[in-house]
Amino acid sequence: MLAIIPSATLHGLIGRFIQVEVDVAPGLPGFTVVGLPDTALQEARERVRGALRNSGFVHPPRRITVNLAPADLRKAGASLDLAMALGILLGSEQIQAGPDPVAFIGELSLGGEVGSVPGILPMVAALSRRGIRRVVVAATAVDEARLVEGLMVIGVDTLGEAVNVARARPRRHPGSRPPRIELMRSTLPAATLETDRSGSDGPGVPDLSEVRGQLEARRGLEIALAGGHGLLLIGPPGSGKTLLARTIPRLLPPLGDSAALAATVVASAAGEGPIQELRRHPPFRSPHHTLSYAAMVGGGPRLSPGEVTLAHEGVLFLDELPEFGHDVLEALRQPLEEGRIAISRAGHATIFPARFQLVAAMNPCPCGFAGSTDRPCRCGPSLPERYQRRISGPLRDRIDLWLAMPRVGPAALITGPEPEDSSTVAGRIAVARSVALGRPSGSLNGRLRGRRLRDACALRSNGERHVVGLAELEAATGRGTERLLWVARTIADLAGSAFVTEDHLDEAARYRPSDSRVAAMEAV
Amino acid sequence: MLGVGASGPVHADPPAPVSALPGARPTLEERDAWAVLAGVRGLGPVGFGLLLRRYGSGAAILREASSPGGARRLVEPEEASQGPAEPAEGVSQAIADGIARAADGAALTIGRIRSLGLAVVTVEDPLYPIRLTQIEMPPHLIYVLGSPGAMHAEAVIAIVGTRRPTDAGRAIAARLAANLAAVGASVVSGLAIGIDGAAHAATLQAGGTTVAVIGSGHAKLHPRVHGRLADAVVASGGAVISELGPDVEPSRGTFPRRNRVISGLADATVVIEAPARSGALITASWALEQGRECYLVPGAIDAPASAGCLAFLREFPDRARIVAGIPQLIDDLGLADHLTQPGVTSDVAATLTGVGEVAGRIGREIAVGRATVDELVASTGWPVATVLAALTILERAGLTVGAHGRFRAAGALAAADPDKSRQRPRTIV
Repeated sequence: MLAIIPSATLHGLIGRFIQVEVDVAPGLPGFTVVGLPDTALQEARERVRGALRNSGFVHPPRRITVNLAPADLRKAGASLDLAMALGILLGSEQIQAGPDPVAFIGELSLGGEVGSVPGILPMVAALSRRGIRRVVVAATAVDEARLVEGLMVIGVDTLGEAVNVARARPRRHPGSRPPRIELMRSTLPAATLETDRSGSDGPGVPDLSEVRGQLEARRGLEIALAGGHGLLLIGPPGSGKTLLARTIPRLLPPLGDSAALAATVVASAAGEGPIQELRRHPPFRSPHHTLSYAAMVGGGPRLSPGEVTLAHEGVLFLDELPEFGHDVLEALRQPLEEGRIAISRAGHATIFPARFQLVAAMNPCPCGFAGSTDRPCRCGPSLPERYQRRISGPLRDRIDLWLAMPRVGPAALITGPEPEDSSTVAGRIAVARSVALGRPSGSLNGRLRGRRLRDACALRSNGERHVVGLAELEAATGRGTERLLWVARTIADLAGSAFVTEDHLDEAARYRPSDSRVAAMEAV
Repeated sequence: MLGVGASGPVHADPPAPVSALPGARPTLEERDAWAVLAGVRGLGPVGFGLLLRRYGSGAAILREASSPGGARRLVEPEEASQGPAEPAEGVSQAIADGIARAADGAALTIGRIRSLGLAVVTVEDPLYPIRLTQIEMPPHLIYVLGSPGAMHAEAVIAIVGTRRPTDAGRAIAARLAANLAAVGASVVSGLAIGIDGAAHAATLQAGGTTVAVIGSGHAKLHPRVHGRLADAVVASGGAVISELGPDVEPSRGTFPRRNRVISGLADATVVIEAPARSGALITASWALEQGRECYLVPGAIDAPASAGCLAFLREFPDRARIVAGIPQLIDDLGLADHLTQPGVTSDVAATLTGVGEVAGRIGREIAVGRATVDELVASTGWPVATVLAALTILERAGLTVGAHGRFRAAGALAAADPDKSRQRPRTIV
């Protein structure tokens, strides 16, 4: 007998509707899965067999064929386990189907427990688009699935519960389950197992009041976050670069609806723990510099999102920037320019969203002490410059604020004034951002281009002359002038000024790339 | 060839007199011939002097080399063309071939020198600096970009030091250079990053002339970041000189060799800061070797940037002299009476009049040594945004420079004396 169960799989960030067709026919006993399944799906046969047996059902000794339609779509993951098990039960007439159509998404353990899978949100959304009105997911994924409106979501812990949803009448006498021995509790609540990895408001985020001194860098960070500008912190070890960057999650305002949905879809597809509600806090990703190209851009056999996508609508923090692989850094060019990344592999291609703000940190030279007064630099005199040249031109162009962080002397650490805390600064950032978003262009200053940028700056004629004068300080490319205007606009927003004045421009000029400043110093 | 050890000059060959017709003014053709021959690999002062004595002029050597069979005759001269007093000894075959090749490519070499705007000054030239002729083994020609007159000033003082100075060392170099410019002395240095650059820049700032002796060819200027500084040196009546052909790359050996020219051009050499084993100490050694005065700025005994200066003072207690202060040094150099502009060591406030009140205050703070934004905010109590904007104004005015988050005085502000109360002593009793 043939049973047809709706289900879904995840492809990149997109859920796809899958029709699971199970034919249980007389013949030599066997279990075949067709329809371009990957290895994890082939192994589903063993999980389904075990789950059926250990839930008190019979794995029928007949010829079982599972077809996954559409047949030309390569399928991966364990999201179809539950649907296949239900199909076998229906096809072998161990249960009778109820009148209402229902979809199943979930992974099975050998003991028959139903587990969640990554990408519940996009998969349920795909089912909803196909007109499915009832869906069964693992109990731990119910909150996530309910983010999709217009669907009835039923959470189940075991295959037995799932069967009760599918069948017409509740089972009268449960079948005899084989005995089992457990040396561990296999089903701890998932929330206690997984920690929130994006951790925006978690206890691990330091407060800005813990950063003493470094007033220029603090100011630069505030401007960068208020305007969505790329930021690079340059300083010797121990100057507080990483600490400063780690305060970012508490400084950013919560995401708006569409941005929050996009960030939640990414988190869901990446399998980032249980999702109870829309992710309102912007993601903050800080991958280690040894990460591979694929880990940065995404890809792999299952088209998983990479760090650039995981940082979508948030901040990508690259500590020790020059130590990242050359290819890895070059791969940032497209997302920084277009806010998305196209991944093409043999057989499949997709586009992931990747609109993030770049924050990076580096030492001024390989030994880290160039320009320090308390320790001599052991690199040659030209090495610091070459070290900074490891960051290629296109990437440099995307960094609007370059901040040097000298080491703070012990006296300043103890006697300096009490620094502002995160919530004060976050308040100013939120106001400046809303001012920028309220302008006709409707975007953060760091994304303004050409005419919109000039309109937004509202420069008077002496302001324009000033821009020309300042542009001479750096070897002013068009990009240098744009950078100056972007940053000045944000400074004006923070100051509550409708116009960009010369003071704002003067301050903005401080944040230009350090190499042009070093050259200026040597050439006097 | 000269052997230069890390501790200073070492005697090698006896000095080779490189002059065929003393007192005669060389023609343009003759200068060009010398320049062509200077590019021959392996042809040193000895071999060149030998050929010069035999043929009478550089042009004659080239004519011989390009004539049929000429290269052979350079090695083993024929009886007929041989002066009676000279023992029949020529240059090696390889060098002779090199001369022949150089003779073939003479037009190219000359064209290259002309296109770069270089003047060739030979040791026979009246423009050749007198002080340099008095040292052992002067370069037999130098390439000059700019005005050779700068090397003939009544007083020429060399300022050298480490490529990684402290802010204080840089400031001393700048103030000394400005004071020397004020008494009309030319400042010689090596165009390197650090003390050299600060000395050149401050001289220009004070309206003086300065000579940069580079350790490479003019077309391979090193460090490249000082290209603009080199242009400014030339534009303000100074000169950038080298004894190396325009396309010679800098290498490990060219800089110590160059140092003997720096000290040789100057009446006295002043070392501002030098860590142990600094190239500046080689220059100091050359100065003593050449019978010139050598002054060293002492530092704290635990300051790495001054360790070399102190070691040198200890090693030559009766010959190396100590710098007790800039006015004292001007006195010691015998230049105090040349002081024509009384206001050169202008005070800081006067330097900062043009930048406005806010930037002026920040400039004063930097002049007294506050280096970071944190320190400037702490001392003024102003918002960080105000301080940052003021720093840009100062930087555009050329009064401060910043790197790695630290700022220091530059230009006129660096030359200004932060401590006006210190009077210039006439003599020390």
